[in-house]
Amino acid sequence: MDASNLFLFVGLPYIAFAIFLVGTIYRYRATGFKVSSLSSQFLEGRALFWASVPFHFGILVVFLGHLTAFLIPSGILAWNSNPVRLLVLQVTAFAFGISVLVGLVGLIYRRLTNPRVKMVTNNMDIVIELMLLVQTGAGLYIGYAHRWGASWFAADLSPYLWSIFLFRPEATAVAAMPFAIKLHIVNAFLIIAVFPFTRLVHILVAPFHYISRPYQRVIWNWDRNLVRNPASAWTETRPRNN
Amino acid sequence: MNKTITLWTRLLLTASVLLSAIGMASPAAAASGEETFKKKCGACHSIGGGKLTGPDLKGVTERRTEAWILQFVKSPQKMADSGDAAAKALLAEFGFPMPDQDVTDADIKAILAYIAGGGGGGGGGAAAPAAPAAPPSAADIELGAKLFQGLVRFEKSGPACNSCHHVKNDAVIGGGVLARELTTVFTRMGAPGTSAIIGQPPFPVMEAAYKGRDLSPAEVKALVAFLQDVAAKEAMQTPVDYGNNLLIGGTGLFLVLACLYGLIWRRRKQLPVNHAVFERQVKSQ
Repeated sequence: MDASNLFLFVGLPYIAFAIFLVGTIYRYRATGFKVSSLSSQFLEGRALFWASVPFHFGILVVFLGHLTAFLIPSGILAWNSNPVRLLVLQVTAFAFGISVLVGLVGLIYRRLTNPRVKMVTNNMDIVIELMLLVQTGAGLYIGYAHRWGASWFAADLSPYLWSIFLFRPEATAVAAMPFAIKLHIVNAFLIIAVFPFTRLVHILVAPFHYISRPYQRVIWNWDRNLVRNPASAWTETRPRNN
Repeated sequence: MNKTITLWTRLLLTASVLLSAIGMASPAAAASGEETFKKKCGACHSIGGGKLTGPDLKGVTERRTEAWILQFVKSPQKMADSGDAAAKALLAEFGFPMPDQDVTDADIKAILAYIAGGGGGGGGGAAAPAAPAAPPSAADIELGAKLFQGLVRFEKSGPACNSCHHVKNDAVIGGGVLARELTTVFTRMGAPGTSAIIGQPPFPVMEAAYKGRDLSPAEVKALVAFLQDVAAKEAMQTPVDYGNNLLIGGTGLFLVLACLYGLIWRRRKQLPVNHAVFERQVKSQ
């Protein structure tokens, strides 16, 4: 394997994961309250829905798909051993991939054109959106032009990723892959490397406990009609803390 | 600021230590010429056993210079492209380029020494299974078709061939397009070449996919039988374009998803709560 492949598929993943780990921990310790993704829903809501929802549901399914193939490749190969199941898996994955692309293009368009959203945009927002665009484009191209990705991911890329995580890197097969796949892999490592410096950190603090938490009722302990009546004195509800 | 610098210094140090550890671990111990030959070359080349998929390598060092061989083995296609007459002649004779080999100069020299020593006689791939007698049995063809698309799993649970390979045949679904299409592989390589490659893949991607999951001789025989049948019946097939179906199916399913998104959140707030305030500001500007 030549030096450039050695760097891209052995050196880069370790550099990326090191930056990811140290950077994320540092950011959380230094500016914990800024570990989030600044919402712009208050500034613009209509376009956001048709961009954010397809993007997020798409990327969740696509990401979990990649994760499953990485964790239990034999399960994926067993599932794909039936051609109908293989087709169902590939078409579903492709549909969610399109969902990501449509959502992402919508998000970028909204961010670049809406004056209010523009005001709260920083450089890294643009950088990460463009990186994700390259990643999604390459992913969809691979799905179309190098099918059946679910099977060969389980057969070739899962062992490669495991070899990285177990510190016994073995990248000969990856080095011989077509360009689009190499691009997808390298760009994935780059995204992991810039992760701590972007709004992607919100993935780590996703409020999953909201799913199982009891719902909250908001109760006003005063007469709503009285408060809304301009004639009534507002000592009725005067706040005590300011 | 000081704190930040120390942190980044530490990070860089850790990364470089990690990298150097990896660097030390990666170079594999040099294998013997015989081992490497059997693993990398034996699928397509014999030593004194006649032409297989590639030329017989007996006396190759007398036909070519060592420098030429060192350059050729690493990237045959590049060499043919650069206009080397001998490489072009080989490409024309065998009809397809030899795949690039991930070997060092030392490996190649060890292989050449092994070849010069006579290569232990006959040659050929390590335990290449016997070629099926023509025409192959219907049972083998059927088993081969099932193995090819995974309906019958390989004994050691290796991935099905159609993960990466396509064949033009109505008996199986469209295969992958990561690797070469195999419709006419049997015509090009014949039974010995085909079974040698399946039994001992010389391509890095395929080698990694079947590492520790070698196919049994019976499985290889069935696959070769199927590929022979595919090559023979090529003209009679009505293939489906799976690539475009994937595109259409995916887009259709996405539209269904989009409707679902709209339906699930049909009672969403269409505008931000302070939309009216924003509008007022824009107007007053």
